[in-house]
Amino acid sequence: MDALAASFFRRESAHLVAALVRLLGPSRVALAEDVVQDALVAAMHAWQLGMPEDPKAWILRVAKNRAIDVLRRERFRAESDAIDDALAPEADAENQLWVMFAVCNDALALETQVTLILRLLCGLSPNEIARAFLVDVGTIERRLHRGRARLAELGEALEVRESDVRARQGSVEQALYLVFNEGYHGSDADTPIHPAMCAEALRLVELMLGVEAIDRASCHALAALFCLHAARLGTRLDEAGVIVPLADQDRSRWDAKLIDRGVVHLGASAGGDRMTRWHLEAGIALAHARAASVAETDWPKILAYYDALIAMAPSPVLSMNRAVVIAETEGLAAGRDARIALARDPKLARYSFYWASRADVERRMGGDASVFYRRAIALAESRAERVSYERRLEESVC
Amino acid sequence: MAKFMFVFRGGGYATPTQVSPTELQAHLGRWEAWTKSMMAKGLLAGAHQLSHPPTGKTVRGKGRVVTDGPFAESKDLVSGIVIVEAASAEEAAELARGCPILEHESGSVEVRPVLTSHHG
Repeated sequence: MDALAASFFRRESAHLVAALVRLLGPSRVALAEDVVQDALVAAMHAWQLGMPEDPKAWILRVAKNRAIDVLRRERFRAESDAIDDALAPEADAENQLWVMFAVCNDALALETQVTLILRLLCGLSPNEIARAFLVDVGTIERRLHRGRARLAELGEALEVRESDVRARQGSVEQALYLVFNEGYHGSDADTPIHPAMCAEALRLVELMLGVEAIDRASCHALAALFCLHAARLGTRLDEAGVIVPLADQDRSRWDAKLIDRGVVHLGASAGGDRMTRWHLEAGIALAHARAASVAETDWPKILAYYDALIAMAPSPVLSMNRAVVIAETEGLAAGRDARIALARDPKLARYSFYWASRADVERRMGGDASVFYRRAIALAESRAERVSYERRLEESVC
Repeated sequence: MAKFMFVFRGGGYATPTQVSPTELQAHLGRWEAWTKSMMAKGLLAGAHQLSHPPTGKTVRGKGRVVTDGPFAESKDLVSGIVIVEAASAEEAAELARGCPILEHESGSVEVRPVLTSHHG
């Protein structure tokens, strides 16, 4: 019995759903999902006591037969050859790109786009998506329902043309950025969902590089950003599933291959004529990835990147990160002042990381950090985060 | 050692659409681990999975009427069999307790001693 790759079912789901969505059209997205789910459940039943010679071909055959049954019932004409062509592994990349660009349409809300990508192209169930976003499954079901309905309404307008590719590239990148970000900051140590989301975002952005009309510089920069962050993924949580702060991470365990891959992407991203957000964020990630320790980090460079990001599109979270950098470039007192200056921002007031950063600078200056840690603990969105603050609170009290 | 037959029945997900591809694969992985552990101890004497979705024929009664498919509710539907070696029915049942089909509400494993032939 050959061992299956860990993501075999998930990847097959994405492959077949993309193929069938494209073949059956935007009004039959749910049908495509059902056909694929049926095929996967059939495989689960049939393979309990031993795998077939060629599992991929097995699932493909079952999915095709199910599709033919369903199409007959729906009085939808599709030749057997057309189904074969759609399901062929060679058509996979193009099908997935097609779905990705079709879904990232301005007519759909960003959160709906992201949810559809996770469902259709990453093979996650509504339950898994709900867990990743810390919302109830009903919210995700409704979002998917709305998304499918909107795609059906758009109907033929869904056809992705050459001119749409450039126009929608920004939306697709933004959606993938959110997929990655949720995966990176999610911290459900018991499930493989979060690392899978990071891997999928990287896979899909690299897939985009295969599109002729794409702005390659921006795409490469986003891929670089994903690689450089993903390289640190394995050290972000300890064995107990608790967040490990950057300063305490074992840098020797950062993934050197992913860092190299990020550097190659970043090199290729320099070819464009405009500096995107991704370029700057990737630059920050690279400065961290290259540093042997917190002390040896090129903080002035990171500060310059944050300044450029804030000039491009200011946000309270960016200002908070900049304040963290200030503590390294101008000293702890300046870092503390920069943080205190942001205390009235309503978004940061509800943001656990802000209070944790207030606490950290206070602790390093020898002050009383406990009140700030308690606020961070109360606002923490995951156990991984909360326990991390609880530990630091205990240490600061001792 | 005696031989026992495990007859697997039922075991589908009540709402299969709620189960993710990752969970389906993880379930399959636990089947593999279960059969491998018996194989490693030399206890697995045979295994046969039946077709899914269920197909085949049923021949019934004196009239030898042939009909399509197995007739059973899904919880009673036989999905496969294995033959194991065990010292006693209790020991065989203990092996069966590890079967992943029992993760489903409707799943069951019937443990039956296989009679040895005396004509041999």
